[in-house]
Amino acid sequence: MSALDTNTPDAPLIDVQGVSRRFDLNRSMGDILKGRYPTVDAVSDVSLSLRRGEAVGIVGESGCGKSTLGRILVKLIPPSGGHVVFDGEPIAGMDRKRELAFRRRAQLVFQNPFDALNAHFTIRRSLYEPLHNAKIPVEEHEERVAEAIRMVHLPTAEHILDSYPHQLSGGQLQRIVLARALVLRPEFIVADEPVSMLDVSVRAGILNVFRQIQRDMGLAAVFISHDLALVRYVCERTITMYLGTVVEDGPTSDVIANPLHPYTRALVAAVPVPNVDQSHDPLPIKGGIPDARNPPSGCRFRDRCPLAEARCASERPVLREVRAAHKVACHFVD
Amino acid sequence: MTLLSIEDLSIEYVTPRGVVRAVDGISFKVPRGKVIGVVGESGCGKTTAVRAITGVMPSVARFGGGAIRFKGEDISNLSKRRLREVQWRQISYVPQSAMNALDPVWKVGKQIEEVLVKRGGYTWRDARRRAAELFDMVGLESKRLKDYPHQFSGGMRQRASIALALALDPDLVLADEPVTALDVVIQRQVLDTLNRLQEELQLSVLLVTHDISVVAYVCDYVVVMYAGQIVEQGPVQEVLNRPSHPYTIGLYNAFPELSGDAHDLSPIEGSPPDLLNPPEGCRFRARCPFAIAGCETVQPVLEVGDNHRALCHRAPEAEALREKARHTETWTGVAAQ
Repeated sequence: MSALDTNTPDAPLIDVQGVSRRFDLNRSMGDILKGRYPTVDAVSDVSLSLRRGEAVGIVGESGCGKSTLGRILVKLIPPSGGHVVFDGEPIAGMDRKRELAFRRRAQLVFQNPFDALNAHFTIRRSLYEPLHNAKIPVEEHEERVAEAIRMVHLPTAEHILDSYPHQLSGGQLQRIVLARALVLRPEFIVADEPVSMLDVSVRAGILNVFRQIQRDMGLAAVFISHDLALVRYVCERTITMYLGTVVEDGPTSDVIANPLHPYTRALVAAVPVPNVDQSHDPLPIKGGIPDARNPPSGCRFRDRCPLAEARCASERPVLREVRAAHKVACHFVD
Repeated sequence: MTLLSIEDLSIEYVTPRGVVRAVDGISFKVPRGKVIGVVGESGCGKTTAVRAITGVMPSVARFGGGAIRFKGEDISNLSKRRLREVQWRQISYVPQSAMNALDPVWKVGKQIEEVLVKRGGYTWRDARRRAAELFDMVGLESKRLKDYPHQFSGGMRQRASIALALALDPDLVLADEPVTALDVVIQRQVLDTLNRLQEELQLSVLLVTHDISVVAYVCDYVVVMYAGQIVEQGPVQEVLNRPSHPYTIGLYNAFPELSGDAHDLSPIEGSPPDLLNPPEGCRFRARCPFAIAGCETVQPVLEVGDNHRALCHRAPEAEALREKARHTETWTGVAAQ
C-alpha cells in the first residue's frame, strides 16, 4: 500500500513542512474603492510530524487555526503554502487512484454529531456509504460495519442501524460518527472537538472509546480541543496553537505540569474543575484573541502576554527545543 | 430571604404519543443575592423548568400542578399584562445560545436601547447612555455598540446578552447554559464577569448547566435534576464535597481532571428513562451500580446534612458508595443488565 516500502517504523507517517493557509475575506466597499483584497492567515508556517500510532492533541482557542490545520491534514482544504507528506508521499497532486487510497487511510471525525450525519439516511446507509465510495469489495461490508460498531461499544446494533439520526442521543450519534470513520480501517484520524457538543456524563464514554481504539488499532491521531483536561486522557503529546502558529509542543504530562509558553500557562489555569475550593485568581492573560486580519508584529501573543517586552514586537520567536522533546516559541524561556 | 420559591412544580408536554411529564414535582428556593445552579444532562427538564419561570413556554407545554412564587405571588398563571410587567423588569433571561438572543439585522446597541425605551420607560437619549454603561459593566468597549452581532466573537455576544438581561435592574436573572459554547479561556472570563457583577449588584441568579465545574465556580447552592425530578440539593460545598446520590457521584466521577492519574474515566452508562412511561420507584435505578430491591418501589427523600437532601435509600452510606464509585469497574455493565 505504502508509496515507499523503504520507510523505517520510526519515519513519520505525517510530516507537515511549513504549512500556511490564507483565506480571502469579503471585500467591503472601502476595500473595493482602494483596490484592497483583505485576507486572513488562519495557519501560518506550521511544521510538525506524527509517527504511526502516536496521538497528538492540538489545543487553543477558537480562531487559533487548529480546525483549519486538521482539515489540511486530511486534505479537505489545500494549504496555500508548504507541504503535507503522508507516508512518504506529498498529499498534493495525487492521481485519482492514489487520492482514493489516501482518503481510505486518513479520516476525519466531526465536532457536531447532530450535523455530521445526513438526516434523511438511516444509520445503516451512513455507515455503508464510505465503503461504497472507497470501492471496498461488497462482501467485506457487513463484517466491517459490525466490527466498527463493536469498537465504539454500541449495543443492540440492529435496532440502531435502522434508526434515523433524530432518534438517537448525542452520545450514540458521536459513536456512529466515529464508527463511520473506522469502517475504512484508517491509519490516521483527525478528531475535531469530538466531545464538545456532548453532556459531561456522556463525554467520558466517548473519550474512553476513542482512547481504546487509538491504542488497539495503532492509529496516528490528532485530537483537537480547547480543553487540556480532555486532551490529557487521549494524547501523549500536546501542541498549543495561537493565532495560526505553534507556540508549544511537548509530552502532555510536561506541558500540563510545567507549561513553558505563557499562553499554555493560561490554558492550564483556565481548565474548569469541579472543586469548590478552587482559585478564583484572574487568568494570566488579557482580553480576547486579536483580530487575525492584523496580527501583532513579532510574537503574535504579545499584546495579551504578561511577559511581553519591546523585543517581542520586533522579533518573532522561533519554535526551539528547550527540554527533552519539549519545544516552545518564546524569547523568555531557557 | 426567599425571592423565588418553586413549590411542587410539574410541567407537561402534550405529544401525539401521550403526555410527558418533563418536570415532575420539583421544589426549591432562590434566596435574594444568591446564585443557584440547576445541573443535569440533556432532557432532564432543567431548561423546561426555567422557561416556565419566564412565563414563556412552547404551545405544547402546560402546567401540571404546583406553584412558582416570586416575591410571594404565584406567577404561573399571570395575565398577559401583568406578565409583561414582570418579564425583563423583574425577571430576565440569558438564553443558551447568545446568537439567538440578538437579532442579526440590528446593531447590538440599538437592541439594548430598544429594551430600555420600550420596556423601561427610558428616553432614547438616556437609553444611549445606559447602554454604554451596561457595556462597560460587562467588559465591552462602548464603541462596539455600533456593531452587528456577527461582528462579535462568541464571548462578546455572551457578554452582550448578559448586558441585555441586566438592562432594567431585574431582581432575578435566569441564565440557561451561559458559557456552554465557549472556549475554556473565554468561559473563565465570562464567569469571572458574572461573579463580579453578582457581587457588585447583589444579583440573584438561577443558572442552568450540565457542567458541575461551572456550578463549583459560581454557585452558592445546587439542585441536581434527573429525569424530571430533583435527586439531590444542598449548599454547593456540601453537595460537591459529599455527593450523596449515585447520579451526582457519577457526574462528579465522569469529569476529566487535570491532576491525578489519566486513568479511565467512568461514564454513567445507558440513558435516562422514557418519560412517557417513567418507571416506578427510582428513575435512576437502571443505570445505578448501587440499586437494591427497595429502589423499585419508593424513593425516600433523606436529609443527609445541613440543608442537604438526596432522593436515595442508600444516601446514609454515601461515603462507602463514593469510595466504590471511584473504580471504573463499578460503573461498567450496569445499564446492560
